[in-house]
Amino acid sequence: MLRLLTLPKTNIERAAVILALIVILVAIIGPFVTPYDPMQISFRSKLLAPSSMHWFGTDGSGRDVLSRLLHGAQLTLSATFFVLIAGVVIGCTIGIFSAFVGGAADNALMRLADIWLGFPPLILALGFASALGASLQAAIWALVFSWWPNYARLSRMVTADILSQKFIASADALGVPLHRKVFRYVIPNAFDVLIVQVTLDISAVMLAISGLSFIGVGAQIPQPEWGAMIADGRSYVANGWWIVLAPGVAIFLTALAFNVIGDMLRRELDPTSRRR
Amino acid sequence: MAYVAQRIVFSILSLFVLLFITFLLSHVVAGDPAIVAAGPNAGAAKIALLREQMGLDKPLLTQFAIYCGQILQGDLGTSWFTRQPIASDVLRELPPSLELVFIAMLINLAVSLPLGLLTARYAGSRFDDLVRLGVMAGAGLPVFWIAIILQQIVAGRWQLLPTAGRLGFANREFSGATGFYLFDSLAAGNMNVFLDTLAHLVLPAFALSLLFTAVGVRITRTAMIGEFRKDYVTLARAKGASEPRIMFRHVFANGATPALTVFGMQFGWMLGATVLVEEIFGRPGIGRYAVKAVTQSDIHAVVAVVFVVGVVFLLANLLVDIALYVLSPRKQQRA
Repeated sequence: MLRLLTLPKTNIERAAVILALIVILVAIIGPFVTPYDPMQISFRSKLLAPSSMHWFGTDGSGRDVLSRLLHGAQLTLSATFFVLIAGVVIGCTIGIFSAFVGGAADNALMRLADIWLGFPPLILALGFASALGASLQAAIWALVFSWWPNYARLSRMVTADILSQKFIASADALGVPLHRKVFRYVIPNAFDVLIVQVTLDISAVMLAISGLSFIGVGAQIPQPEWGAMIADGRSYVANGWWIVLAPGVAIFLTALAFNVIGDMLRRELDPTSRRR
Repeated sequence: MAYVAQRIVFSILSLFVLLFITFLLSHVVAGDPAIVAAGPNAGAAKIALLREQMGLDKPLLTQFAIYCGQILQGDLGTSWFTRQPIASDVLRELPPSLELVFIAMLINLAVSLPLGLLTARYAGSRFDDLVRLGVMAGAGLPVFWIAIILQQIVAGRWQLLPTAGRLGFANREFSGATGFYLFDSLAAGNMNVFLDTLAHLVLPAFALSLLFTAVGVRITRTAMIGEFRKDYVTLARAKGASEPRIMFRHVFANGATPALTVFGMQFGWMLGATVLVEEIFGRPGIGRYAVKAVTQSDIHAVVAVVFVVGVVFLLANLLVDIALYVLSPRKQQRA
């Protein structure tokens, strides 16, 4: 984590790291510092424009948009990170297993991952989420379901690469047990490559989560998930533009920050993509 | 020819994976399909009867075989909400969506190819940095949000383009044989309808294309940047070929293949992403159909859309790969 602060080379990268840290901080403490209850309906104060009382205004039911935004950070980010962590665990288990067994099983699994990977992820997740019954949990599992092949493919590649190296042959000769090989040799070596990919995927997963919520298969209105907030604000867009603007800007800035960080990590950690 | 045969076999294999996924969705994940098919108020006796009729008492593998048979005969099931065959619903909704995706793809190519080529040529320059930042910003924009913003500002406030729908009020009677209005209006020689259709397509297509264009620029840059370092470029420079000639005649022609393969895949992904824009712009289409089916818990209609988008995706990839193979002078094997 501390290393992250020494990596940025440009002001944009510094800004991105700071922004990402703020967003993560808000996601953790946001619910404790909100000025208002994000679910408190008050028709007397509905559709108030941004002011010193309500910095980001209020929505169509009189709820404070800033409070909802801060709560939403936790909902949106935790959902995003859960998808990525579950995707990595499932994908890497399959990928590492595939590389270790090799042969026909390896071939079949990777072909399956290839094909699965290609299908439009959003529509796949839409199908899965609506089969489960629309909810934020459904959207999360739906994205895990369509995301795992990314990491299966990547971890298989890295593992196969590590297994072909000489120190593994020495380890075999010494009789190092399998679990030790996986946890001591493969996972630490695969870590850098994975962390780059995961960071670059944060924005895509976040856009997918909020997109699914926007359509109505993810978080349900009035949950303050950012995509659901945009869906909720749509009907008031003509006389309450701030309701739609705030969560959209929040998604955009967060996604942009993580994209910039991912790009930076790739430059610093991934030896195959030294470009400059 | 071996390459084409190999690609076709791979596509058929992929089709079965797709069928497996949709089978999983409609028969396993969604719970008992008989309960789904019977509707919300069915009694136990009706459900038991349906179970037998639908072959749900048979082993899963047999069910999968029956399912594949039905789908491959073009039977996508019946929407329990509209009581219509889903296949005919989907066929009606597909042309407007494909039209939208075509225009979005044109925008994508028109931006991605030149920007990708130029950033590869001037890699590391300020221009490259600026475009890279733009790419990262574009890849972070929520499609549905930018669609709402564009609709409010460009169509609402500035009144430059129509807000919603496929055609203006004056042309509401228009209908054509294929359902592709751009094509139908040209065939009928009706320029008025053609321009009206186009005007209605600009905003949704632009909103849809943004995310894909961001990826497209990056992919094109990556594909081209290696080419600029190759010996033939040095040779062409030494011979005194002009820089534009090197860029377009040599580098672009050689480096385009991997990029075009990705654009082929993007076609299917864009069709999937129509769920995010069609509803906002009030356009008929497969994306809006899917969203409507979701809100009505019409699982078979949703899964049918997943299947159809998957098939279009496979077909687009296959066509692009075969076209690139046929056009390639080397006819080399591509992995």
